[in-house]
Amino acid sequence: MRVSQGLVAIAVAAALLPFSYAKAEPDNTNESNDPAELKQEIQDLAQRLKVLERKLEVQQEAAQAAAAETPVVKAGPKGFSLQSKDGANVIKLRGLFQIDDRYFLDNTTPASASTAILRRVRPILEGTVNDIYDFRLMPDFGGGKAIIVDAYVAARFKPSFVVTAGKFKPPVGLERLQSGADIRFVERGLPTDLVPNRDIGVQISGDVFSGHVNYALGYFNGVADGTSSDNIGDVDSDGDGDAAARLFFQPGATADNFAWRGLGFGVAATYAHTDGTATNTGLAALKTPGQVNFFNYRTGTTATFADGTRTRLVPQFFYYYGRYGILGEYVESSQDVTRVNGALTRSGRLKNDAWQVAFHWFVTGEEETFKGYTPSSSFSLAERTWGALELVARYHQLTIDREAFVGGANSFADPDTQASKASAWGLGLNWYLNQNVKFALDYDRTRFVGGAAGGGDRNDEEVLLSRVQLSF
Amino acid sequence: MRTRFRITLLALATVFGATLAHADVTLLNVSYDPTRELYEAYNVEFVKYWQATHHEKVTIRQSHGGSGKQARSVIDGLRADVVTLALAYDIDAIATNGKLLPANWQMRLPQNSAPYTSTIVLLVRKGNPKAIKDWGDLARPGVSVITPNPKTSGGARWNYLAAWAWALKQPGGSDATAKAFIAKLYHNVPVLDSGARGATTTFVQRGIGDVLIAWENEAHLAQKELGPGKFEIIVPSLSILAEPPVAVVDKVVLRRGTRAVAQAYLEHLYSKEAQEIIAKNYYRPRDPAVAAAHAADFPKVELVTIDLFGGWAKAQATHFADGGTFDKIYSP
Repeated sequence: MRVSQGLVAIAVAAALLPFSYAKAEPDNTNESNDPAELKQEIQDLAQRLKVLERKLEVQQEAAQAAAAETPVVKAGPKGFSLQSKDGANVIKLRGLFQIDDRYFLDNTTPASASTAILRRVRPILEGTVNDIYDFRLMPDFGGGKAIIVDAYVAARFKPSFVVTAGKFKPPVGLERLQSGADIRFVERGLPTDLVPNRDIGVQISGDVFSGHVNYALGYFNGVADGTSSDNIGDVDSDGDGDAAARLFFQPGATADNFAWRGLGFGVAATYAHTDGTATNTGLAALKTPGQVNFFNYRTGTTATFADGTRTRLVPQFFYYYGRYGILGEYVESSQDVTRVNGALTRSGRLKNDAWQVAFHWFVTGEEETFKGYTPSSSFSLAERTWGALELVARYHQLTIDREAFVGGANSFADPDTQASKASAWGLGLNWYLNQNVKFALDYDRTRFVGGAAGGGDRNDEEVLLSRVQLSF
Repeated sequence: MRTRFRITLLALATVFGATLAHADVTLLNVSYDPTRELYEAYNVEFVKYWQATHHEKVTIRQSHGGSGKQARSVIDGLRADVVTLALAYDIDAIATNGKLLPANWQMRLPQNSAPYTSTIVLLVRKGNPKAIKDWGDLARPGVSVITPNPKTSGGARWNYLAAWAWALKQPGGSDATAKAFIAKLYHNVPVLDSGARGATTTFVQRGIGDVLIAWENEAHLAQKELGPGKFEIIVPSLSILAEPPVAVVDKVVLRRGTRAVAQAYLEHLYSKEAQEIIAKNYYRPRDPAVAAAHAADFPKVELVTIDLFGGWAKAQATHFADGGTFDKIYSP
C-alpha cells in the first residue's frame, strides 16, 4: 500500500511539474539578446537622459532670466515698496499719522484751544528712477486742510553733488530738518518759529570729505519766519527769493572712537530782500509749544510789513552717545520792517532771536540718533516685552527785539497784547511700542514777558500734549 | 538779479551734472546670440582705431542673447547705443514699438545696414552617422534635430524659413507641403533653446541630437574651437541669405551724447580691417576683395532671400506671431 501511494504521489508531481516550471520562467519573447541592439538601446536611453537634463537646464536658464526681471515687492516697518530686480527703480508707499490732544492746564488759554486734532495725516509716495533720481510727494490732510507739503526731485549725481528741485525744507533749522516722525517732542521748540518750514526752490548739496562735511546751497521763493510757501499759495509773493546755505560738520563720522561719531555742528544762514505790503505783510505770528500765538506784528490796514533785507543766522549742534543725546540751536532773524500809520511812516530793522537745548535719554538703552529710532523690543503682552521708553527735557526761549514795541501807537507791535519774550521748559515721555507706533506725552510751561495790558506779563501757558503716532 | 542768480545756479548744476555723466565714453552693443567672438575681436580693432583717430578712450560693453529677446529688452529700456541683431524685423520692432530710432534706419548704412551676411547650414557628427545630405533628411523618423526657438531666436527664424523655402522648391511644393514638412522636422526637435548659442551648446557640448541647424559661422566655430575633427558641415542644396543688420539707437545716443562714436562704430564695420575680422569669424564679408580672399571658406550655395516670404513683416505675421504657423505645428 505504501509503495503504491508513493508512486501516485510521484505521478501527480510529475504531471504538475511542467505547469509550475512554465509559470516560473519569465516571458522574454519580445526582448533581444543581440548585443548590437542592446547597445543601441542603451545609447537611445542615454540620449533621452541627456535631452531631459538639457531641458531642465534650459528651463532653469529661462527661470533665472525671468527672475532677473521680476520686480521685488516688500512690505515691512519701513513701508511698502515695489522695486526692479537691480534696485535702480523703486516706488515706496509710506505714511505718517499723528493724532494729538492738547489740554491747557492754565486758566488763561481759551477752553477752545484744548482739543484733539489730526496733527499730521500724510500719505507719502517716494521712490527712485534710474538709480539716481529720487522723488517724493507728500500731501497733508491733517488739521482740516489738504496741502502739498513736499514735492521734489533730487538727482544724486554723486554723494557730493545732489541737485534738488521742488518744494522741500530749506537747509536752515536743525530741529526743522528732523522729520515730523522723528522729533522727540510733540511740537518743535521756539527757535523753529524763526526758520522757514517748506519752500519752493532749487538746491545743490552733498557730503564731502568722506562724509565729514555736509553742505547745502539753495535758492527759494522765500517765506516768512516759521511758515511754509503753502501759507501764501505756493507762489513767490514778493518777487524776491531767499538764498540759503548750510555747512554741517561731523568730524568723528568715521572715528574709531565711537564717542566722537555722534558729534555734529554747523551753521546755516539765509539772505533775502523782502517787499511786503499791509495786506501781504511777509511777516508771521509766533507760536508757543501749545501752538497758541504769543506774538504778532500789528495787523489790519496799518499793518507792519517786511520791507527790505531779511537775514537769518543759525549755529546748531547735536551730540549723541549711546542712549543719550543733546540737541541745540540758536537762531537770529533780522528783518527790515515798515509801518504806515496815517501820515507817519516808520521803518526799522528788528532782530529777534531764539535758542534751545534739548536732552534725550532712552531709558531702555536704545541708541539715540538724529534720524529715526530702533526699539530693541516691541510691546507684547504675550511675550512680556514693553518696547522702548525715552525721557526728554528741554529749555527754549524766544526774544523779540525791544525796538518792535517802541513808539506807542506807532510801534511795530502792540506791547499790551503781544509778548516780548517767551521762555519755556518742557518734559516729555516717549513710549515706542515698536518701530512704527509711538505714544508721546509732553508737559510744557511757557513764561512770558509782556503781552498784557498796562505793561504787564501775560499769564504762563501750561499745556499737556499727547500724541499717538503711526509711521511706516 | 534774482532770475539771473537762479538761471546761473541751474546752469551750473546742469553743466556739472552733464560733465559728470559723460566723463567716460562707453558704448553698449546689444547683439544677437552667436556674435560674441566676432565683436570681441572687432571691439579691440575699433578701440584702437578710435584712439588713433580721435585720441579718446572708448569702452565697448556687449550684450548677447536671442535676437527677438534682445529687441524686447531694448524696447523695455536697455540702453543700447547700437543694436546688431539677426534680422531687420527685430530692429523694425525697436523703431515701431519703442520709437527709439526712425523707420528708415535701414537706409542709413550701406547694403541695407548689413555689413556682413551669413546663411544656414547643417552640422552633423563626424562620419555623418545618420547620412544627412539635405533638408529632407531632417524630417526622417529617428533623426534628432537641434534648432532654437523661433519665438526668441533670430537664427531660429532663418533656420525655419530656409527649411520652408527648400520644401517649397521641391517638385509639387506648396505652402501645404512645406507646412507638413516643417511639422515633421519640429517633431524631431527634442529641446528648443532660446538662442543659437544655446542650441550649439546642446548639440556640441551636451552631445544631444544628430544634426544642428546652425548659422554658418556657428558651424565653423563648433568645428574649429569646440570640437576639432568631431563634426562635419553639410551645405544643403538650398539655403537663405541672412543679412544681420546694424543700427544706431537714436534716442539713446541723443541722451548719452554718444552719436559720433556709435555711428563710427557701425561705419567701421565696412572697413577693410573689420571685413577681414568678419571673414575670419566665418561671416560672409561684403567687401569683394576680402570675400575673394576667403572664398574657400564660403562654399557657393543657392540662396533665397526674405523676399520669397513677402518680407519680414509678412513672414513674422504668418509664421512666428502668436497663433501663427509655428504655434500650430509645434507644442512643447
